[in-house]
Amino acid sequence: MSNAPAIHEIYLLPEGVDKVTEIKDTKIPNAATFHLEKEDHTLGNVLRMELLKNPKVLFAGYKMAHPLDHSVDLKLQTTADTSPLQVLQEDINSIVKEIGQIKRKFENELTLHSMQSVEPTNGFTVDRAY
Amino acid sequence: MHDEAALQEMRTRVVLHADRVAHPSSMEFPGNFPGEDLSWNLEEFKKNFRIVVGFIGKDDMEFDMIGVDAAIANAFRRILIGEVPTMAIEKVFVLNNTSIMHDEILAQRLGLIPIKADPRLFTFRRGANDDPTDLNTLVFKLRVQCTKNPDALPSAVHPADKYINSNVLSSHLQWDPQGEQVERFANDPCRPVIDDILITKMRPGQEIDVELHCQKGIGKEHAKWSPVATASYRLLPDIQILKPITGESAKRFQKCFPPGVVAVKPNAAGQLEATIANPRKDTVSREVLRHAEFEDKVRLTRVRDHFIFSIESTGILPPQELFGEAAKILINKCNVVKAALHASGALVAPQEI
Repeated sequence: MSNAPAIHEIYLLPEGVDKVTEIKDTKIPNAATFHLEKEDHTLGNVLRMELLKNPKVLFAGYKMAHPLDHSVDLKLQTTADTSPLQVLQEDINSIVKEIGQIKRKFENELTLHSMQSVEPTNGFTVDRAY
Repeated sequence: MHDEAALQEMRTRVVLHADRVAHPSSMEFPGNFPGEDLSWNLEEFKKNFRIVVGFIGKDDMEFDMIGVDAAIANAFRRILIGEVPTMAIEKVFVLNNTSIMHDEILAQRLGLIPIKADPRLFTFRRGANDDPTDLNTLVFKLRVQCTKNPDALPSAVHPADKYINSNVLSSHLQWDPQGEQVERFANDPCRPVIDDILITKMRPGQEIDVELHCQKGIGKEHAKWSPVATASYRLLPDIQILKPITGESAKRFQKCFPPGVVAVKPNAAGQLEATIANPRKDTVSREVLRHAEFEDKVRLTRVRDHFIFSIESTGILPPQELFGEAAKILINKCNVVKAALHASGALVAPQEI
């Protein structure tokens, strides 16, 4: 166990390390790589999906370079009338709105459901798949 | 018209063939289809997004999440399994252990016992330098001695009759409230979720005396902190019968699916005909694709944006609250990145070119 990486490395951002660094691409116009520390597919894939739905985005992709390296690289190229950073900020706002909407909808449906059924069925009387 | 239908099929369905799965990933992105604006907007999302609660049990629930991308559904699943915090036993101080179970194994088993304590009322203990307080640590004591049962009949054979405390159960854990915990948890004392989890077995003369410290943690670090037994989703199956399947063939068709999926009823002409009764029950085993007689008669598909989500809680938090917590954590993740982008300072130059 002596050479095992400390388990908190998975989620604890060390002091002095930036959560996000932007590395501008020197060869491709309007392109940058965002290095997100202590993030994984959970956020990487959601960001990629949201960016692809933005017409200003020409390319968006992410990778987790190594399974023991708890960081994500998000590559992004945009059209000339905006910048990768600006697009990323806009789209993070959209994701927050979208998740907020899912949460509200879920809570609404819960209250509706609780009004309809009085006792918890614990899955026995309900038509279940398996 | 036919092409239009085929395109629609491709856009909304994942098609299962005998040897492969066709077009599994979403193609609803701007620029993919001429004349269509597929860029994301909140109003459009609100219109298409639906949640249908199937059932809510004591510890499990199932609901349908319709109209989201797989990335979102997967983020929820991942967060539920690995990032919603709970309290679990992290430190075991062994004062005495003469049972046959080694200290390490005993500690490992104790760690996995779900502890009924609202994790939202606790803080994380960051590293060894962060002193344990009544805000970040829960203390339990386990003090069990096995003795002979003086009242046992000479004919008794079962250990439970012959001895006292031959089984060490999770109900033997005694909560030892620290500081203000007595008042804070007056209505809901901290305890194991389930009382009859077998920890170890003992025989007369053996004894366990340990002190247990619970800490807040997440499932990514160790599965004992995971608030769910499983959190999973599957896509809604959609079985399409392309040509009528009748007579004896219909009965054989029915047998290719789990009970309840296919109904065989007389049609207008008085012939037995197979119809799809409940596609949700299908496991999509693809058995039907192995039979030559159903070739070109059936197509197995799944609806790409219809997720049947199932959450099975360990009982620490009810499943419906877990989903809300997961949403909060995902929003928080986004906000942390947003703040970091702000802090990088580059925000103030929106129009660079």
